[in-house]
Amino acid sequence: MKLVSRVLLLLCVCGLLTASDIRISGANKAEYWVFVDRRLDSLNYKEHLTEKLKLQGNYKEITLKGVFFFWDPSIAVPGSLQYFDFTAQYKKDPVSILYGTYYTTFGRGLCLNQFLDEDFNNDNALFGLKADFKFFNSRLTLLTGKPRNIFFEELTYSIKNDTTDQIRGANFETKLPISKKRVNIVTSFAGRYVRVNRVSDMTPQAFTELFGGNIGLTIGPWENYFEYGRQWGTQPVVGGRLKGEGFLFTTGLAIPGLGISCQYIDYKDIGFGGPGYRYNEPVTPIKSGVSVNRGIDEIGYGTTIIASPFDFISLELSNNKISTHDASMDIFEELIKLDDDMDGVLEQIAKITTHPSFDMEITVGIERVIKQGIELPIQEKIETKPYIDLTYDFGSFFIDVGYEHTFVSSDTSDYYDHAVSFSLGKPEMFVLSVRYERRSRVPPDWLIPKLGEGRSWPMVELSLDLTRRHNLRVRVGAEKGGLICSGGVCRFEEPFRGVKLVLTSMF
Amino acid sequence: MNKLAFVLLIPLIFAFTDEGEIIDAPDFTLEDVDGNTVCLDSLLVDGPVFMSFWALWCKMCIKELDALKPYYDEFDSMGINLLAISVDKARSVPNVKPFAKSHKWKYVIVMDPDDILRDLYNVQAMPSSFIINQDKQIVFTHMGYKPGDEEILIETMRELFVEGNDETGE
Repeated sequence: MKLVSRVLLLLCVCGLLTASDIRISGANKAEYWVFVDRRLDSLNYKEHLTEKLKLQGNYKEITLKGVFFFWDPSIAVPGSLQYFDFTAQYKKDPVSILYGTYYTTFGRGLCLNQFLDEDFNNDNALFGLKADFKFFNSRLTLLTGKPRNIFFEELTYSIKNDTTDQIRGANFETKLPISKKRVNIVTSFAGRYVRVNRVSDMTPQAFTELFGGNIGLTIGPWENYFEYGRQWGTQPVVGGRLKGEGFLFTTGLAIPGLGISCQYIDYKDIGFGGPGYRYNEPVTPIKSGVSVNRGIDEIGYGTTIIASPFDFISLELSNNKISTHDASMDIFEELIKLDDDMDGVLEQIAKITTHPSFDMEITVGIERVIKQGIELPIQEKIETKPYIDLTYDFGSFFIDVGYEHTFVSSDTSDYYDHAVSFSLGKPEMFVLSVRYERRSRVPPDWLIPKLGEGRSWPMVELSLDLTRRHNLRVRVGAEKGGLICSGGVCRFEEPFRGVKLVLTSMF
Repeated sequence: MNKLAFVLLIPLIFAFTDEGEIIDAPDFTLEDVDGNTVCLDSLLVDGPVFMSFWALWCKMCIKELDALKPYYDEFDSMGINLLAISVDKARSVPNVKPFAKSHKWKYVIVMDPDDILRDLYNVQAMPSSFIINQDKQIVFTHMGYKPGDEEILIETMRELFVEGNDETGE
């Protein structure tokens, strides 16, 4: 309550300050859930209350920012969480100095990747000091900070990383335009160093260094990027150096109507952090966000082609794979094959979107995902999902109709899930959606008991625009649950049956 | 109970903020997908700015930008700078430009992988759109997208910048 009082006081102060030249703005997201715990009988409901208020004040080159968060579950759920983050920043080109909670990524993240994924409820923050200096076509970043990882899984928020670790890092990036006459040619270089000190570790020389760099070359519409990262860590307890490295290469072609992007990754002990979190979240080429072990032992590629030969049609093809290494294969085989004894994911996507008329959009697609060793104890799972979606805009109203059919084949059981959805909406007013999903059968040898024995998941959702800056979402019904992933981080979501209310505001 | 009251109180405080209230737009300097520096002050010299926050994973954001595509030339003739701010994280950066080009978007695609701009403009829902007049004031804010919302955006821009009412935005 003391913290709540402080935030209310802050709000009052902010209100008073509005009279001066200070610009005050903010955002708020409040969520309230009531749901049935499947382990209890249907009369035992749980609650979940989450509040996130962001306030920001700008005065000339100074920005002050505060984020107040609390999560208050039912008494039946152990623990609650609340925090107040603040940031003070002075920014006047070419210098920026920040103190407080911040997020930053060096390059594409092989050495340091502290990010906030609000949509996935994954908060990888640093608390400390960060300074940026810009000069010519270059930028130097120096930072120090204490990491913290707040993660939401199985309907519970938890602090995954609350160690005594200290991160210090430096990143230097420069860009050299070679030609801007007929074809734009630009090269870029970067070098970086990150040191993680583990205060609580009794091992002699208990620190980890991550260092590396990247080279980029752009020739007109063709872009290339190569990043290398190396880890020098400490062997737990016994001491001595633990070495790891990672490569990332991307190339892409972008011309009007055609986009091609290709990616190659190879990680050997580059992922560094603790159980369930990483300080450097290495990139996964899988679009659905799955990784195998987050930079410990991974090799893979991703290829995506998107073409719009005509304005009324767009085609997308994607083939992505990630797996553990296999010493018995050469590197090319390792890259393209997903043998039975490898853990990994192969993802294939084909999608066509067409506009038969100005008011209508039809999307037809198929997604096929093979997962090995990802959803343990299931060793192999193959999901094939054809789907169709139609949107028609009547002017004052629109409708959206969709159907998807997911064939699932796992170690010992085959079944399918199918879902139909219908939405009716009015611009700037509301969207009413109804979705019904059904499973053909519950396999007798169900390997993941957490998934429950539910076979149907009806859902109704109303999204109401209260004003242009305030939206209320009410969802009533059931959600299937399962493994969901974003950026290489996965969590298991329990099946949900209840009501969700979400109020989002900007001011 | 105290917390529930607090949760209800916060939106109430701000629920009735004036829709037409004019707020100063925070300044920013970021890079577009071609490596060019994009600065709000420089853009406003040429004309007003429309910007929409989007991401590769956000279907509605893509629908919004696709729906506004046929009006690009009209906006361009009105002197409006059209920005599509990608909030995709560093890991998705290589896919942004090929995606935007394949959709034949002519918007200036700005990268915001560290959520600098998203934080400055307090973006809570995707997509979110803003119109900034040449006095550096946010004269229009819109959260989310539903098919048909683009008509409201287009009408607003015509009202603001064709009928000579760009001083107040009211």
